[in-house]
Amino acid sequence: MATSQHFQPPPVKTTPKEINEKIKFDRWWFLLMGVILLIIILITFKPDPFRRILFFVSDGISVTIFTTLVSFVLVLIFGLITGLARLSKITIIRGIATVYVEVIRGIPLLVQLMFWYFAFPSVIQSVGQALSIPSLIGYRANPIFMAILGLTFCYSAYMSEVYRAGIQSISRGQMEAARSLGMTFVQSMRYVILPQALRVILPPVGNEFITLLKDSSLVSVVAVADITRRGREFMAANFIPVNTWVMVALLYLVLTLFSARIVNWIEVKTRLER
Amino acid sequence: MAPIIQIQDVHKHFGHVKALRGVSLEIDKGEVVVIIGPSGSGKSTLLRCINRLEEFDQGQIIVDGIPLDSAENINSVRTEVGMVFQQFNLFPHLRVIDNLTLAQTVVRKRKKQDAINNALMLLEKVGIPEKAYNFPLQLSGGQQQRVAIARALAMNPKIMLFDEPTSALDPEMIQEVLDVMLNLAKEGMTMVVVSHEMGFARAAANRAILMDEGMIVEEATPAILFSNPTRERTKLFLSKIL
Ligand SMILES: Nc1ncnc2c1ncn2[C@@H]1O[C@H](COP(=O)(O)OP(=O)(O)OP(=O)(O)O)[C@@H](O)[C@H]1O
Ligand SMILES: [Mg+2]
Repeated sequence: MATSQHFQPPPVKTTPKEINEKIKFDRWWFLLMGVILLIIILITFKPDPFRRILFFVSDGISVTIFTTLVSFVLVLIFGLITGLARLSKITIIRGIATVYVEVIRGIPLLVQLMFWYFAFPSVIQSVGQALSIPSLIGYRANPIFMAILGLTFCYSAYMSEVYRAGIQSISRGQMEAARSLGMTFVQSMRYVILPQALRVILPPVGNEFITLLKDSSLVSVVAVADITRRGREFMAANFIPVNTWVMVALLYLVLTLFSARIVNWIEVKTRLER
Repeated sequence: MAPIIQIQDVHKHFGHVKALRGVSLEIDKGEVVVIIGPSGSGKSTLLRCINRLEEFDQGQIIVDGIPLDSAENINSVRTEVGMVFQQFNLFPHLRVIDNLTLAQTVVRKRKKQDAINNALMLLEKVGIPEKAYNFPLQLSGGQQQRVAIARALAMNPKIMLFDEPTSALDPEMIQEVLDVMLNLAKEGMTMVVVSHEMGFARAAANRAILMDEGMIVEEATPAILFSNPTRERTKLFLSKIL
């Protein structure tokens, strides 16, 4: 007890002020502001059709955000599992994971989404028929569910490569030191390898998020009423393609630019905390 | 009393490289054994087999009465055996104090405060209590290696393995690390040290061993091995490093 009084942990090294300063000087916030300003100008000075378009597609915004966020959280989890599997010493596990990643990366996301929404349910129904299980025969695909499944399945393969690279960038000595202290493999991963790997992979993970956000527009073809699909519906009803797609593009731009700033902010913050 | 480490006819291959070709060695409690030998002779591999960072193909190693066969045994052996690496291998994302408390809390299930007190006591012992709240990369090489020794000691191991603990250090920092090791040896720690520091070996070791091509060529007290070896191989090697 006595010794511990001599040593006071110093205060956290970086003050929030410094971090804020970094963010203030992140000029790219201005670009985001500019885009938002442009939207405001458009709907204020040309409410017809821009305000109408915005109102029409606005319920798609939450669908896009929801689909993206839920998929992304799942991707973070399954990507990690797949990434670890690809590093496994056990040949079968590594083999399965590698085949999964290679196959998924070789098929366009759009085709995968089509498969999950159109083909997968009918596979289930046939299986149900073959085994006469009524609940399977009557199986109907839920668009959002299938979209999230498809995005997760595809992006987990890409994300596993990000994790794998991150984990491999940590020197072997770290794992050996942890193991030699008696820590299990899981404990070593959790307390030693992953915290270090996370710093390395933060930029590519952020990049995956933004790509996922944009690719989520593909779910519009499998009956999910996201921004893109609402835009198509509006255009079909009103025949003003230029205005519609400008508005849709601006909305995506707000989301991606905002995400990019958040990613950058987290990056700066973790770097300063070191 | 049975030797605390019993190594019986251990073989280890990497592909078709034979790293160990039938090594047998017994080390008593409190003994300090220094291993020397040319690069690639299997010194590191032997150390790493003792705590199973490396699996061996043939033979047996019994540490403190526990044969290294099941995963459970491996982990219980590892908590009894501390290891210090050439490259320190401190956890760079954790402060010095957390480097020392992590395994204590996670593996030994000690209370945080007990672990901290133990860590501070050990940092005092290796002479750098004032660095407790720094990050490893803010320390000199010699300080980092002393932290690494303290981190291993924090688990209260019965045996300490050192794999060339001073070869990555600038010359002026070697002594501070050797001093810590000398003190440990005086306190009766069982130590297996791969090192070509003759001064340390003479001062601290009960036995010196020369390895070559995966085998033990000669073993004797440091005084005899270094100045009066019987094998030609040993003479040749010593003439190269002295
Ligand atoms: N992970 C590995 N994969 C393949 N070969 C290895 C591996 N580790 C060691 N070896 C080989 O095994 C042999 C013994 O290596 P080891 O590291 O035990 O030698 P050493 O005596 O410690 O040498 P040094 O003094 O250079 O550290 C060498 O031929 C080495 O190339
Ligand atoms: Mg070596």
